[in-house]
Amino acid sequence: MVLFIFRRLGAMVLTMLVVSVMLFLLLELTPGNVATKVLGPYSSEEQRNLWLEANGYFEPLWYRYVTWLGSFVTGDFGESIRFKVPVADVLWPRLWNTAILGFWTFALMIPLSLVLGVLAGMREGSKLDRSISVTSIVTTSIPEFASAVFLTAIFVFWLGWLPGTSTMTSGFDWRQLVLPVMVLVLYDFGYVARMTRASMAEVMTAPYIRTAVLKGLPYRRVIMRHALRNALIAPFTVITLQINWLLSGVIVVEFFFAYKGFGALLLEASLNQDIFLIEACAMVAVFVATATQTIADLGYTYLNPRIRFS
Amino acid sequence: MADRHSKALHPYIPELQKLLRKGEIGRREFLRTATVLGVSAGAAYAMAGTGAVKRAQAATEEPKFGGNLRCSMNVKEITDPATYDWSEKGNVARHVIEPLVRISHENIAEPYLAERWEASEDLKTWTFYLRKGVKWSNGDDFTADDVIYNFNRWLDPKTGSSNQGRFNSMTTTVDTGKKDDDGKPVMSTVAAEGVLEKVDDHTVRFNLVIPDLSLPESMADYPALIVHRRFEEEGGDFAKNPVGTGPFALTDFAVGEKAVFAKRDAPWWGGDVYLDQITYIDHGDDMAAQLAALASDQVDCNYRTSIEQVETHRAIPNLTVYDTLTAQCGVARMRVTEKPFDNKLLRQAIQACVDNEEVLRIVYQGRGAVGEDHHVAPIHPEYADLPRLKQDYDLAKKLLAEAGYPDGIKLTIDCVANPTWEQNACKALREMCLPAGIDIAINVMPGGTYWDRWMSTPFGFTSWTHRALGTQVLNLAYRSGVAWNETDYSNPEFDKLLDKAGGILDPEQRKVVMADIEKILQDDAIISQSSWRSVFITANDRVKNIYVQPAEEHHYNKVWMS
Repeated sequence: MVLFIFRRLGAMVLTMLVVSVMLFLLLELTPGNVATKVLGPYSSEEQRNLWLEANGYFEPLWYRYVTWLGSFVTGDFGESIRFKVPVADVLWPRLWNTAILGFWTFALMIPLSLVLGVLAGMREGSKLDRSISVTSIVTTSIPEFASAVFLTAIFVFWLGWLPGTSTMTSGFDWRQLVLPVMVLVLYDFGYVARMTRASMAEVMTAPYIRTAVLKGLPYRRVIMRHALRNALIAPFTVITLQINWLLSGVIVVEFFFAYKGFGALLLEASLNQDIFLIEACAMVAVFVATATQTIADLGYTYLNPRIRFS
Repeated sequence: MADRHSKALHPYIPELQKLLRKGEIGRREFLRTATVLGVSAGAAYAMAGTGAVKRAQAATEEPKFGGNLRCSMNVKEITDPATYDWSEKGNVARHVIEPLVRISHENIAEPYLAERWEASEDLKTWTFYLRKGVKWSNGDDFTADDVIYNFNRWLDPKTGSSNQGRFNSMTTTVDTGKKDDDGKPVMSTVAAEGVLEKVDDHTVRFNLVIPDLSLPESMADYPALIVHRRFEEEGGDFAKNPVGTGPFALTDFAVGEKAVFAKRDAPWWGGDVYLDQITYIDHGDDMAAQLAALASDQVDCNYRTSIEQVETHRAIPNLTVYDTLTAQCGVARMRVTEKPFDNKLLRQAIQACVDNEEVLRIVYQGRGAVGEDHHVAPIHPEYADLPRLKQDYDLAKKLLAEAGYPDGIKLTIDCVANPTWEQNACKALREMCLPAGIDIAINVMPGGTYWDRWMSTPFGFTSWTHRALGTQVLNLAYRSGVAWNETDYSNPEFDKLLDKAGGILDPEQRKVVMADIEKILQDDAIISQSSWRSVFITANDRVKNIYVQPAEEHHYNKVWMS
């Protein structure tokens, strides 16, 4: 098990290194551009050359990469061109905001989708199953930007119950969190519910469930004791991978509701070609992607004794 | 009031009054010229016989103290006021630091930190009398040293301020002694000897190199906000050290998120200030977010309502849309030093394809005035009426063939994604050029990307803000070698005429020179400019005494909430 964990972690670090090399080559191969981005369009050739020299851009490429990686690992991401402050100063608060949004989305979405998925999967083909399945498919196929407009039209413009944007300018306000969370949950619960349903339906056809039912166990107990344990293994992986989806999926929602999170930051950084911020955001995204994958793998192995390593 | 200052009155004022009485110049023209020549706004209005300055909303109700005005606007970085390049930056800083002169919502120069000013007859010597008793928020007195410090900074090429072009009447070009790669001497533009003179603690005299009629207006532009004399010494970062003379203090600031101001305890030189707090909230580039914030009462007003949204905003109860005609515009400008736009015939062919009036109608619902490819607006006092440009495809095809493209040409124009009317203007340009064989691809990009290349792209659609005088913008954008000369246009004859126009007081005489200037720009076809646009803001009905200033400046010192 320990060896397995180390191998997974090793693979994770390797993936991140490969991505970091690609990112570095993509963004910093032409130093002239970096200087223009940092010093602005009014800067002269002379000023740019001075800046490049002062910041070590005339060193060999491999040396620059190692230095860059070194400062990156120690938390020095450079200064944001757009915000004029160290990248870390904007990145961490924004990531925290997205974590809040993600937490509430998951807190609602997981129970909702699991319950619906299990209910649907319990009796495949029943009326309940069909109505849950149709609802899930419909909500999942409406993109976030459409449901955001739709929900805003209802709750902001028509009923006037909720605030239309979520900038949280004067501190945290749960009312401003309702619409973004609603849009995300609406989009995502259907997918997880469908996966749960499929897993549940498969378990329900397994011989040991039939045996349990036939030997006269109460149906409730068959589900709770025997079916769920096995049926929830697959959804665990799916849910862990949703964290990764959320990190990029929130871009649309954060932009629409002017929520100051990681997604909006990533968008802003790319639109303004804020090189150091893009690098940091991309590395965070890669870290989250590989980390969730590793956690999903480890968790799955732990939960499923059939593939557990000795 | 006029009598009391009669000794200081510029000798041209009586002549101006005569012209007004005879009806040879309009009221607005009179007010502008009189105030520029140092007559106080109140006195000028009295001379024009129209009573006191009118606000957008008549002050019939008793103003109420208190309240937090929340405004939806992009919050950009505000490090160095001298290098501001967006009016949003100026709007944030203006609550803390102030200009010497302010342009009112009626497009008139008003005394601000400068109490009054006088110009010599030849318009080369200007004396500015600074307001006494104005205190900086750190307790220092506001004096002539502050003003001289700011001007020295602006005129220094190292600062990189657009003010250097704005105050070109104060600079000379010198040989740096260095040579460039081609062996040509490297020239540098610096402050002229003796141009800034401290007469006493509250009087500054400007000894200009050339006459400059637009000096007071130039001092009102957003990069000309006056910072404290130790600005650089104390870090040179306005966001971190916001020392100012204004009625508000910056209490919280985060780029892309918010800017919060609280009313200072100390009395303000301008009298009562009603608001306790101003909060700018950044809703990003999504117009829908702004609308949702207004509709759900998360903000009280906004920076700008786009033309597409005017009707939607009007339909929401408790919201009012305010508007004003401005000299704001967008220009499809061609960089004359880049191929193929170095070919004047090609530029003229493009010009011949465009029906400006039709573009205004399609793109801006006709709300504005028709442009004439010379960047001087009908609301500018020196505007000279030229014969209207006509769409002429036969001419366009002929010019294109002469330019060496008998089979047509493919071009690409860069433009910003938002506001959408700019894209639409490019689309209209494309459609109008197609029949002549000019195929223009439109490269739409986010604002941040475009503004990084607006100076260098061969063909781009750039929006220009309002300026009170036509000569101001011509000096900024089309004079040889100035910082914002995006077309890289360099025409000594044009520069000379521009100098000449800057020295003529009589609006009628100035128009004669302006006609030549406008004609030169039009004939050289460096820009295709279809329209002058009206601008709009939306505010909740509880916000009183708010108005749209033509340059979209926020003057909130007298705004109050019911």
